[in-house]
Amino acid sequence: MAAARGVIPYRPAAARGEDTAWLGMAIFLGSWAMMFASLFFAYGVLRLRQPGWPPAGTPPLPQVLPAVNTALLALNSLALQRALVAARRGEKSHVVAGLVQASLLGGAFVVLQVVLWTSLFKSGLALEDGSLAAVVYGLTGFHALHVLVGLVGLGLLLPAVLRGTLNAARNNRLRLWVMYWHFVAVVWLAMYLLIFVV
Amino acid sequence: MTAQEATFNRQTIEALQPIHSPPTTFWSKYMWSLDHKVIAKQYLWAGLLFLLVGGTLAMMIRWQWAFPGKPVPILGPTFLRSSGGVIGPALYMQLFTMHGLIMIFFAITPILIGAFGNFCIPLLIGARDMAFPWLNALSFWVFAFSQLLVIGSFFGDLGAAGAGWTTYPPLSTNIGTPGNGQTLMVAAVFFTGIASIMGGINYVTTVIRLRAPGMTYMRMPLMVWGQFLTAILNVLFVPVLGSAALLLLMDRVFGTQFFIAGAAAVKGGGDPILFQHLFWIFGHPEVYILILPAWGIVADLLAFFSRKPANWYKGTVHAMSAVTILSAVVYGHHMFQTGMNPLLGEGFTTLTLIISVPAEVLFLNWLRTIYKGSIRLTVPMLFALSMTFVFGLGGLTGLYLGANAPDIYLHDTMFVVGHFHFTMAAASFLASLAGIYFWYPKMFGRNMNQTLGKIHFWFSSIGITLVFGGQLLVGYAGQNRRLWNPFAYEVFKPLQPLNRWTSYCAFVLFAGQLLFVWNFIYSMSRGKKAEANPWAVGTLEWSIPSPPPVHNFDAIPVVVRGPHELSNPELERKLGRDWVGQAEVVASEEPGAVRTAARGAT
Amino acid sequence: MRSLTCLAMSVLPNPFEPVKLLRDASESGWKIDEMLETTTIFVSILFLMTVVWMMWSVLLHGPKHKAVFDHGADFKSWRWTALAALLIFVVVDGDLLAHSTAFMFGTFFDFKGAEAKPGAVRIEINAHQWAWTARYAGPDGKFNTEDDIVVLNDIVVPQGAPVIFQVTSTDVIHGFNVPEMRMKVDAVPGTVTRMWFQPKDTGVFEIICAQHCGANHYKMRGTVTVLPRAEFDRWAQVTAVNATRAFDPKDMEAHWGWDWAEHARVE
Repeated sequence: MAAARGVIPYRPAAARGEDTAWLGMAIFLGSWAMMFASLFFAYGVLRLRQPGWPPAGTPPLPQVLPAVNTALLALNSLALQRALVAARRGEKSHVVAGLVQASLLGGAFVVLQVVLWTSLFKSGLALEDGSLAAVVYGLTGFHALHVLVGLVGLGLLLPAVLRGTLNAARNNRLRLWVMYWHFVAVVWLAMYLLIFVV
Repeated sequence: MTAQEATFNRQTIEALQPIHSPPTTFWSKYMWSLDHKVIAKQYLWAGLLFLLVGGTLAMMIRWQWAFPGKPVPILGPTFLRSSGGVIGPALYMQLFTMHGLIMIFFAITPILIGAFGNFCIPLLIGARDMAFPWLNALSFWVFAFSQLLVIGSFFGDLGAAGAGWTTYPPLSTNIGTPGNGQTLMVAAVFFTGIASIMGGINYVTTVIRLRAPGMTYMRMPLMVWGQFLTAILNVLFVPVLGSAALLLLMDRVFGTQFFIAGAAAVKGGGDPILFQHLFWIFGHPEVYILILPAWGIVADLLAFFSRKPANWYKGTVHAMSAVTILSAVVYGHHMFQTGMNPLLGEGFTTLTLIISVPAEVLFLNWLRTIYKGSIRLTVPMLFALSMTFVFGLGGLTGLYLGANAPDIYLHDTMFVVGHFHFTMAAASFLASLAGIYFWYPKMFGRNMNQTLGKIHFWFSSIGITLVFGGQLLVGYAGQNRRLWNPFAYEVFKPLQPLNRWTSYCAFVLFAGQLLFVWNFIYSMSRGKKAEANPWAVGTLEWSIPSPPPVHNFDAIPVVVRGPHELSNPELERKLGRDWVGQAEVVASEEPGAVRTAARGAT
Repeated sequence: MRSLTCLAMSVLPNPFEPVKLLRDASESGWKIDEMLETTTIFVSILFLMTVVWMMWSVLLHGPKHKAVFDHGADFKSWRWTALAALLIFVVVDGDLLAHSTAFMFGTFFDFKGAEAKPGAVRIEINAHQWAWTARYAGPDGKFNTEDDIVVLNDIVVPQGAPVIFQVTSTDVIHGFNVPEMRMKVDAVPGTVTRMWFQPKDTGVFEIICAQHCGANHYKMRGTVTVLPRAEFDRWAQVTAVNATRAFDPKDMEAHWGWDWAEHARVE
């Protein structure tokens, strides 16, 4: 049409639906980041209001298990990133391998978290025992829920990957779930550092 | 740009928004619809229903103050048989709690944001639907689920939620309000928050990605700006409410101690003030969430019905954006009485007073828009004008409360209640009504009865001013809020007549709304069939039939001008009318010249 | 018609008559009242201007008036809007900010000055559902000792001397509020908050809970009785003697007091 001059055009790249999905996911993760930020804020306020931290009468927090879990999630992110690269190159077997690795690592994380909680409970920290218990169980529990959701996501992706339907849309779903997992890993890193280390 | 590029762009946009065949089954048409216009109507019905419930609760509160201890007519024999129709203190606190929660989360939010956001955003930016239609449908059903939880909470084993809409712990924990009524309500708030976040993601992505070619940010109707900024606030701050609700739920269900202190605390306990921080970091942006779409609607309507462009469009956009950005850092003024560090209090006072500046700018822009216009007092315009009136008053009363010192006297008085009712209930409510009267023809393809609309306008405007004005007055005289019987205090006894008068006005205000209900429902099937552009304005939704087809636009429009190009003398001569469509290319008009034709046009 | 209206108005109670600020019986309350009244004047002027402007536009720029095609987007136009907003901010908001700051830092947080004044009375308030218990240090000047005066709901204070409160709560958040002294502060469990005022007039003034605290929030009423100095001293002496007599060292619940200095945080 002749009405081309003076009209502000759409950028051609912007017309791909994938970028819209990416933006949606980024905003979603921003939203979830605010949620976790509030939880960290809550932790900060509770900790600063206590005369001493950990509060008197509470057992010491384990150090090894959370460190192992941090490593697990780091490896998980690595495996998923490699799976994403392989997907872009069309190497189906490597994608499957990456997804399986990630599922195992993620699953192991959840199992070890449960071990962490039971050992804490046995060492005398019940859920009702003041702010330390609330923070440790509450924050790590909520995070673990997110890991479970991530595992479900990987499970949903696996059939499509196995069937070999690796087209642009499927790549995109993989990319979105990988973004999610990176987010989960970063949140855990923050939790590990702020709750168990500092 | 070449003609080839233009065609390529048009093609890619069309490819991005393909026209699907319309749904055929009852399920896909009305229950799980992916059409933003249907989802909008779902939100509208759900919101209006709960608006009625919330309003009824308000009438009961006003009854208690007009006639303390007397049995409530009609509702008493039905719902309050065990107490002989009388509202007791425990029930009273449930009334004001549920009134607040329902009105904010389950009435105004679904109407102003769920319904209008969903209906208007794609149409006004020239898109065929939202960016994520599936997510859109899901968000409505999550919201509907949360409404079910609200209904369930009324039947809690130990009564309904009763800790005030602010839900401060420890009163809102098992210590203060045991029972599953309160728990269900906190869960309901959590789930409606999820629905809001989903909606927010959709709105933000849609505005960023799906604007029609030529629809720059500075050509969007201000209604879209209002929804866009609200959605950004929703996405960022509803999660904070989510975390507060989550931690409170954990305290109630799992026995944790995030917010428990005092005698019940164990091993250090938690901090009740922490909840207030989390709640108000959400809570203050929330009030802007509820007013930004209203500002957008009114800014557009004032321009449309003054038949001239909105004054200093850019200034309004910048002002609304400034308010959005500042909204998060003023929240402490809700907590002035909690024993705050003086420097913190000073900081919040200063920032709160600063946020009045952009609000003044956009208000002045409204005033300058109608000045020297050609004002048509249509029903939407009447409501837009009354919204301007009430928001002016409500906003000014905020000054008293934003500074630390005067707030010492006014905190927890009816003055606060009057202030937020003027700004939230009155302004957002009147803007919602303006929007309903304005977009009803487009939504339902029929016209509402305009005479009934005008009568409804008078009832609402006068009623609102008197009722909430009455609250401001008794609050200034020191009357505290949330009191089952304020007249148990010597100093408030003289205020009983004024309270009773205010209640009478409230009853009349409520009665007037029934006119609207009748008009709304009756016109849906018996109203005069609406034309495509009954208001003679140029935004994109009026260039398609009323109601629009499922796919909205046969061809995605190419926008060449701003949303309020009204009374342009040159175009009036050429077209013989004072309005021109946003995508309307005027014959023999140089497209490039469009941008410079009107003084200062974007 | 007019005579009937006049008749009606002279007979019926005027509901707007009691709409004024509560009486102020404190030394510093006038500062708050001044802020409220000044703001009311400004707000009324601004609102009146708005209403006049709107009516002018609606009545004179109606359908018969030709609309002016002006976007208001050039600097020459919008500078007036910006200027007006700035002017309102500087005058109205500025006045409020200046006075509020002066009050908060000069009066509200002047605990040092209040505590230093001779004859200042210190009271610890423990709020609970749904009553106020108050504790005076007694002649020994220390809290939680056998001569502490503990009262329920009805506190007695001297005229003309600062009364400083440290406030907490046992269960939920309450609001310790004496509106006729223009002072309130929340009572938060797990924290000790503070406030002070100096009574100017004698009389009985009400304590009204200012934070929703449960079903009987409306009944959480107390009184502040302001006595002339000599009468107050007599009352304090007699009550302290009675308190010592009634003191039960085994009643742990009654020893809810705390060390004043720990929370004095005198600036």
